[in-house]
Parts: sequence; structure tokens; C-alpha cells
Amino acid sequence: MDKDTEIIVKDFNSILEELTFNSRPIITTLTKIAEENISCAQYFVDAIESRIEKCIPKQKLYAFYVLDSVCKNTGSPYTIYFSRNLFSLYKKTYLLVDNVTRTKMITLFKLWLTPNESIGGSAPLFEKNALDKIENFLIKASSLHKKNFESMLPTPTVPLLLREIDKLTAITNERLKDQPDDQKLQTKLLVLAQLKQELQKGKLTVEALKQVQLQLRQVFAQDQQVLQERSRQQQQGSTPQPNLSLPPGSTATSTNTTNSPTPNLLSMTGSNDPNNNNADSNSLPVPIPSESGLTSSLFGNISKIVAPKSFTDLQNTNKIARLEELYKSLNHVGLIFTPPKNSIVTLYDKLSEQNNKNGLNNELDGSSHNNNLPSIPLLQNVLNDCKAFFASSNVNILNTPTLQFNQSNITNENNQIVKNNLVHLLYRAKPNKCSTCGKRFGNSNEEKRSQSYHLDWHFRINKRIKGTTATSNTTGGATTTSTAKNIQSRNWYLHDTQWVKFNDDEIVSLKSSSNKQQDKFQKTTANIDIHSQANIPGENNGNTQLSNMVNLLNSNSTNNNGSSNAPYAFSSMGVSLGETDLEKKFVIVPESTQDMTFQCSICKESVNAIYDDDLGEWVWRNTMEVAGKKYHATCYYETMKNNNNAQ
Amino acid sequence: MSILPGLTELTPELYLDVNKTHQLTLKESTEWKIDIPTSSKLTIKIRSGIAEIFGTELANDIEYVFTNWKISLLAVEDVILEWKCPDISGNKALIIQQNTTSKFVYNLHFALDKLRTASFNGPRIMIVGDTNSGKTALCRTLCSYAIKNMPYQPLFINLNPNEGIFTPPGCLSATPISDLLEVQAQTWGQSMTSGATVLHNKQPIVKNFGLEEVTKNKPLYLNCIDQLAKDVNERLQNDVIVQRSGCIINTPPLSQFYDNATNQYDSYDGLLKIIQCLNIGIVVILTNDTDEEQEKEKINKLFDKLKSIIDQNSIIRFPKLSGRFQDADDTYKRSLQRAAIREYFYGTPRTVLSPYAAGADFDEIVIWKSMELNVNMQQDMINPFQLESVPIEANVLQHALVAITYADRKASSEEVSKAPILGFGLITEVNEKRRKIWVLLPVPGRVPNKAIILTSYRYLE
Repeated sequence: MDKDTEIIVKDFNSILEELTFNSRPIITTLTKIAEENISCAQYFVDAIESRIEKCIPKQKLYAFYVLDSVCKNTGSPYTIYFSRNLFSLYKKTYLLVDNVTRTKMITLFKLWLTPNESIGGSAPLFEKNALDKIENFLIKASSLHKKNFESMLPTPTVPLLLREIDKLTAITNERLKDQPDDQKLQTKLLVLAQLKQELQKGKLTVEALKQVQLQLRQVFAQDQQVLQERSRQQQQGSTPQPNLSLPPGSTATSTNTTNSPTPNLLSMTGSNDPNNNNADSNSLPVPIPSESGLTSSLFGNISKIVAPKSFTDLQNTNKIARLEELYKSLNHVGLIFTPPKNSIVTLYDKLSEQNNKNGLNNELDGSSHNNNLPSIPLLQNVLNDCKAFFASSNVNILNTPTLQFNQSNITNENNQIVKNNLVHLLYRAKPNKCSTCGKRFGNSNEEKRSQSYHLDWHFRINKRIKGTTATSNTTGGATTTSTAKNIQSRNWYLHDTQWVKFNDDEIVSLKSSSNKQQDKFQKTTANIDIHSQANIPGENNGNTQLSNMVNLLNSNSTNNNGSSNAPYAFSSMGVSLGETDLEKKFVIVPESTQDMTFQCSICKESVNAIYDDDLGEWVWRNTMEVAGKKYHATCYYETMKNNNNAQ
Repeated sequence: MSILPGLTELTPELYLDVNKTHQLTLKESTEWKIDIPTSSKLTIKIRSGIAEIFGTELANDIEYVFTNWKISLLAVEDVILEWKCPDISGNKALIIQQNTTSKFVYNLHFALDKLRTASFNGPRIMIVGDTNSGKTALCRTLCSYAIKNMPYQPLFINLNPNEGIFTPPGCLSATPISDLLEVQAQTWGQSMTSGATVLHNKQPIVKNFGLEEVTKNKPLYLNCIDQLAKDVNERLQNDVIVQRSGCIINTPPLSQFYDNATNQYDSYDGLLKIIQCLNIGIVVILTNDTDEEQEKEKINKLFDKLKSIIDQNSIIRFPKLSGRFQDADDTYKRSLQRAAIREYFYGTPRTVLSPYAAGADFDEIVIWKSMELNVNMQQDMINPFQLESVPIEANVLQHALVAITYADRKASSEEVSKAPILGFGLITEVNEKRRKIWVLLPVPGRVPNKAIILTSYRYLE
């Protein structure tokens, strides 16, 4: 691995490390790097694969997303490289992660099966062999799961099944009320009636009963799906995506088929219908939302099917009734505190109530039913933000007489306008708090923009700081050149005459990518400039070139931190001009150039252009342009020094 | 197995997990007065709510580490936080109290903000008070607040040479506060470095006073301020935002301006001179009603004196800050000074800097020193601004912090005393046999060919 590659791969790795949450920008960045440096493909593939293997289960999916994104955007050779280990990687991960992630992995897999148009291929994304293996694996995994599920069902008895049929009939009747001319529903009722008769004859074997039970269950699931869908449509509001609690078991087929439900993954790939998809992954019994007109007694019955416990249920109802009575009597004598209408508790209750209606299916996997509801502190945040907004929106600081400077105003214990309104200006009036440094931003467009600049800035800086620590760790290793790259030190203070003209916007301006970086370049360039003037009297041409460059850089960056004290600092440094300084030199690839590489005229090595995020330009690193020719800065310097010595 | 004695049962009282994370809930407008034990480390993570330290709000769910510092954390609203410190046993050992002065700080801040809104020439406010009355904390809070709502850049001027704020101690400085202060730093943050730092750095201007006490050479001190004021005024003329944002000025303890022994009449004349130099319009005096009579007497005298040059309404008696550490002693202040010097050269754990040790021959170095006046001197016979030449000897220079000026090495004493400051160096070794001196420089390179001024501060690595 040559140096450039090493740097890129290191970069890539460190960004990959940061992927501890599902972050689109990070994935995009990684994809971009992978796309731009196809020569390093093998290393990237290794990096992503080892990331998937090594990171904690929760984060594996994100690494898979990177893999997916890279393959979709770039295609070959990544697809070929990844195909090799894809199956084992997928299998390992699938077995480690929780059910929610599994569902997401399956969705991901389904997308792989569809031909990728962006790379123009008509074949699936990866090699067929690998995809087939995964599919087989998924089929096995889900049927295994199904077996577990079946064994959990109670042994079917005729009365039990009869009860289920009754319930189904009730549900279907209910639906028929809404859609009186639905043919399917009418046939369904018919079938159910026939089935009931058959059962009552009582001549069926246990095997057959089991079959019937499974079928019923399936129909159930489907009905619930429909009802749920309907209640969701009724609400029209923000309906949280129900947590998919289990990997897809059986595919729900139409009601009157009698096929045994074998999972058919390929059928899923074709389906774009969201309902259908939902049915696929939610084919397990889902309690019916209690508000859908079907009364909660039905809901209670359903739970009885899964595990009959009518007696305890009855007890519970009794208890609840008694509690309600107690509550009523307490309320009557005024002993119950009812939270005011606009309190956070009321809001929370209201929201979680709604949430219960929408997302009861979560109960299946045992997680708390208000999973989708933000925590109380978060809601408190929202409420306080609102309050602050209203309190501070119409205050004019200029029209506030109590802010006049005098003793009594300043030491006023109870300055209402400050206490109730103004103080919010320091905090929640700007509700968006930077999660890294705590700086606050408002909601206006301008504030939003500066917030996004601010976040970008954090990201860039963090990347650079990471670079520092990563390299400083390798001190003493072979990579001494890159070690020194990011070492930083305190600057000299500005001369008084510079300070009085200095403007701090040069430091805090987030838009112009990085003054400091430019300053650094400027320094080293100037440094070399002095040096070449001292050393190579013959190279006039080169000298003017260089000083042009220095001038250019000077005019680019108004931060003239160096201009007056710099010559002095440079001359003192000049003797020990380090290789590192040279390597920081760069030439921006001219827009007119087609070729992104050039050959150093001294060492004949070809140099690839690299995209510099801070500058927003393609650059050749460690490069100088002298008299129209490009050299490695290090080569050039070395040669010039030797020439000089020879003279 | 389970009944084997000593193996399975660990008495919970004996077993104290030093790395335990404690959870703490603070009610709105209470403060947690934190005295971090020497050489210990406190980690704080805010879980919910708004908490601030000297006006700088802490981000939620981010770990903050504090060492060797006495701070007060204010709960702006109810706060849930986690903290960890191996040397504090638990929540019971913490000092949590009602904050009594934050409401006045808000009043003060918004009164200042009103002036900023009203005029392009912002307020210039000076904070005075006794030792440990909360001057620096108040300045820091006002600076932090000033940048929160509007993009102001108040100019913070530190006139207390005992404190290193953005600089090593021993100097007077002015720094535009253009972005967040580093909440974890006693020095408020960093001056400019050559690389990437977690927060935006600040760009101070520095005047070297070099002595510890103002009283050691008051004329020189006032002369430094005069020089600083010239630059500050020029900067304000050039810099619209800073001008509108105004200046917040920190001062040495009042006692240094009140001279009991010699000439009581001149008391506070120094302060008045500063007010005139920097064109200060508002003075905040930190004083409590409960102070001793003698103290009150002094404050009254100050008040009368101030009245002669600024509007009475602009002289505010402000209670000493809640959450201050009344008994912070010299040892603590020394340790803060050491930390400031260390930070200048080596940076912080988050931003590690690499200073550079350079050697020079004795005859390549010229070192000056500010004059220390004493009572016996005939005041009119000597020039207090005159620099004295320092012999290059180990016992004088070893471990000394020196200010490197922009003046040439061979410049005259007068030129040197007027020259701007390039930076600071630390003399690490003086080898009299080989006539060689080693200086730690912040910037890699040779020892600059410049005149150097010795300060009274020493730092032993």
C-alpha cells in the first residue's frame, strides 16, 4: 500500500468508525470516497467487512447500509468483492441482531434482488449464487421460527376452535356492515359457517384440527391488519410505524385458499403494495385496536385464545371495577388531583392513549407499549420551548423601562419582564441546541443556515482532530512523515498594528472553509519561497512563479497572521525546513485539465489528485509547480538543495 | 461453595466503587458548588434540563471533565445530571444551595443588551470588588450571555495580572469574545493555534506587566493600561461589531488600589485613571450589606470618588456572587496560574500543543526586567518605566516565564518597554559552564532574535 492509499484508507476507516448511528451524511461521504478511489476498493471492502464483523450488533446494520450504498452507486468492482463473503456476513449478522433489525435486513435483501437500474444492469446487485444462499437461509430461519410459534399454540380442541370461528364471524359481520357489497366477505361468512358445521360433526383428526387452527389464525391476522389499516386511515394523523416485532413467518394468502402456508420470499420481492408488505411481516396475531368499534370484550377474548385464562381475567375485571368505584367516590369528595388541561402529564396521557391504539402490536414482543412515544423529558423540552417562544416573541428590549441603568433596576428582586420574558432569549427562544457544544440556534431560516454551517464545521474539525490523534499514536512507527502532519502549536500573538485591524469573523466565519488551514499553507509556501530565493539564484523563473503563488495565497486569505512576523519566524525555521512542511504543499488541479494525475519530472512517480474537503477543490498533495512543470515538493526541494551544495 | 466465608460476601460498606456514576437532580435556580479535590477529576454529563457554568450552557449527553478548579453549576431549569469523581463519596458530600444572584445578573445583562441595541457604541462596564467576590465569574457570565442571543462580540479586558485568561499570568490583555467560551477551561479558552481546535480560538492582545502585584509598580501598571487602551480604542474604531458589543473589564482586587499605609488621599486614583483611559461608563461594585463596617466605609469612599467622573446611576452596588468560594487561598490561585502557563505551551487534553525547546548562547540573548518600586525609593528620582537589564544567571532565570517582545534584541530599554508582545517563553535551563540557555517556545524555531522581558512567574515542569 503506498502512502496515498494508506492515508485514504485510514480516513475511510476513521469515518467508518463514526458510524454508530444511522447517519446519511456519513454513509454518503463513505460512498463518495469509495467511488472516487476505486483503486483502493479492496481495502475499503476489507474495512467494511471487518466493521460489520467487529462492531456491536446494533450498529451492524449501518455498516450494511454502507455496503449497500457503495455497491449501488459504484457497482463493480465492489459488488464482486462483496459477493464473496456476503452470505456468511449476512448470516452471522442476522443471527446476532434483534427482530427489528432483522426485518430491516430482509428489506435490504429484497432490494438487492431487484435489478439495479442506476448502474445499468439488468441482473441483481450481487452474484446470484450469494443471493440464493441468503434466500435459502432466510427461508430456513423463518420456517424455524414458525415451528416455534406453532408449538406455542394450545392443543386444538373442537370447542376452542368453535369459539374462534364465532369470533371471526363477528369480525366479518362487522366489516360487512361497512362494506355491504363485498363479495369476498360474504363468501368468507359462508365458509366459516360450513367449517363450523364440519367441526360440530366432530370427526376430524387432531392433525386436521391443527390445520384448521393455523388457517383460522391466519385469517385472523389478516382481518386485524385490515381493521388496523382502517383505524389508521381514520386517524389520518402522524401514525408511527408499528414496530415489526418478528421476522416474516408465513405469507398471508387469500382467505379461501387451503394451501399450507409456506413462506415464499420471492413473492415478496415483487410486491410493492405497502398493505401486502405489511401483511407479510405481520402475519402473527395482532390484537385489534380497541377503538375500532369492536369493543374490548373481543380484545379480551383474543388473548384468551393465545393462552386461555378466563378466570384470572374475570378477577382482573372485578378488580378494575372495584378500583373504578373507589376512584369515583374519591373524586366525588374532591380527593383526586386532576392535572390541568395544558400540563405535560395530560399531554403525555393523551398521546400514549392514542399510541396504545396504534401500536398495541408491540405487546407481542414484550416491549413497553408506548415505545413510540418520546420520553417525558423530551416532551417537557418541547413544551418549554413553546412557552419560551411565546414569552419572548413580542418583547422589545428598547421599550423596557425597567432595564434603564440604575441601582434599583439592577438589584430588583422581582423584575417581571426579565424573569418571565427576556430570560428565555438566552435559552429556549433558540430551541435548537448543538449536541456537541451546546450553542443554541433559532428557527429562522438564517439561523437554520448558520446551524448547518456550524454542524459542518464540527464535522470537519472533528475529522481533522481525529487525524491528529491517529497519527500521533504512530509516533516512532514507520509513518513518521504523516505523524508530524497534524501537530499543532500555539501561535505568536499578533503585532499591535495587526490586532487593531484584525476581525474575529476570520476565526468564526464558518463558510470560508478554514483560514487556519490556508494560513498554514501560506506559511509553508512563504517559507519555501524564501528558501529558494536564498538557494537558487539561477531559477528566476521558478522564483517568480513561487512568489506569485505566495502572493496569491496572501490575497486569498485576509488573515495575515504571518505577514509581518512570519518572515522572521520562517527564517528562523528555514534551516530545519522539514519534509512535513513540504508535504503540506499542494497545487489545485486546474479546471481545464482532464488528467487527474501527473508524473513528477524528478522521480517519475505519478501523482493522483485528491479531493480536499476543506478547500473544496481537487488538489495534488506534496506538489509544486515550477515554470509550468509539476514536481513533488519534496523531490524539488531535495534536488535544489543538492544543486546548491554542488555549486 | 456459597457458604465459604470471605469469598462470596463483600460487605457493601467496605466495597466502594470509585468509578461509580452518581445521578443528581437539581431544582430550578439552585446551584451546585463544586470544589474539585486537588489532582482529582470530575466528570459531568447533563441528562436533561439546562445547566450552565459561568454563563456557558452545557450540551446535553456530553461528558465534561473538570480538574483543579472551583466552579458553580447553575440549574437554569430542573436538571438531571450524572457525575463521577473518585474523590467525592456521593451526593451527600455535595454543596447544593439556592442561587441568590443570578436574577441580578440577568437584570444586568439585559440592561447592557438594551444599551447595545440602542447605540452603535456599546457599553463599557468595569467590575470591581474584593478578593473572592466573584469579579471574574461575573465577567465571564456577562461575556457568555452577550454572545447568546445576538451575534455580539464583546471585548473582554483583563486588567488583573494575577489571572491568566486566554494568556499566561502576568499580563494585561484584551480579547474579543467572538464565540463560545471553553466551559472546561479556567483560562476561558485558547488563544490562536496552528491547527484544528474543538472550539473557535480567540485572538487576544497582550501587554506585559510582568510583576505579581499591581502595587509593586503602579505607574508601570497604569502605563500598560494606557498602551492597551490605545490599541483597544483603535480596534473599536475599526471593528463595528466589537464596538457595538462594548467592553467588559475585569480588575485586580480593590485592596490593590487602596493603600492604607502611605497616602490615603490617592486611594482609588488608579481606578479613576483606568476609567478615563478606557472611557468606562458603568462600574459595578461587588459588595454585600453584611460586610464589615470598615469594608463598607471603603466602598462608600470609592463610590464618592467614582461619582466625580461618572453618572451616579451607572455605579451599581451589586451583591457578591452566589456560589463564590470565599476562602479560595493563594495556593489555589497559584495552581490556576500554573495551569494557565501549562496551557499556553502544552494546550489541553482535548487540544494537545507541541512547544519547542530551543537553545541559544548567552550572548545571543538580552533579558530585561520591569522595575519593582519600594517605599524607600525616591519616587521622583527614578523613571518607573525604565527596564533593568538582567544578568544571565541560573538562579535568576531558571524556570522563569519570559515575555518575548517584537523589539529587536539590541533595542534600547525605552523601545523594548513600548514594544508589542510576540509571545511567551519558558527558560528551562541555564548552563553557565557552556554559556547556553534553553528556552521552551510555543512555536517551533530558534529563540527569536528579540528583546526578552523577565516576569515574576516561575513554572517548574
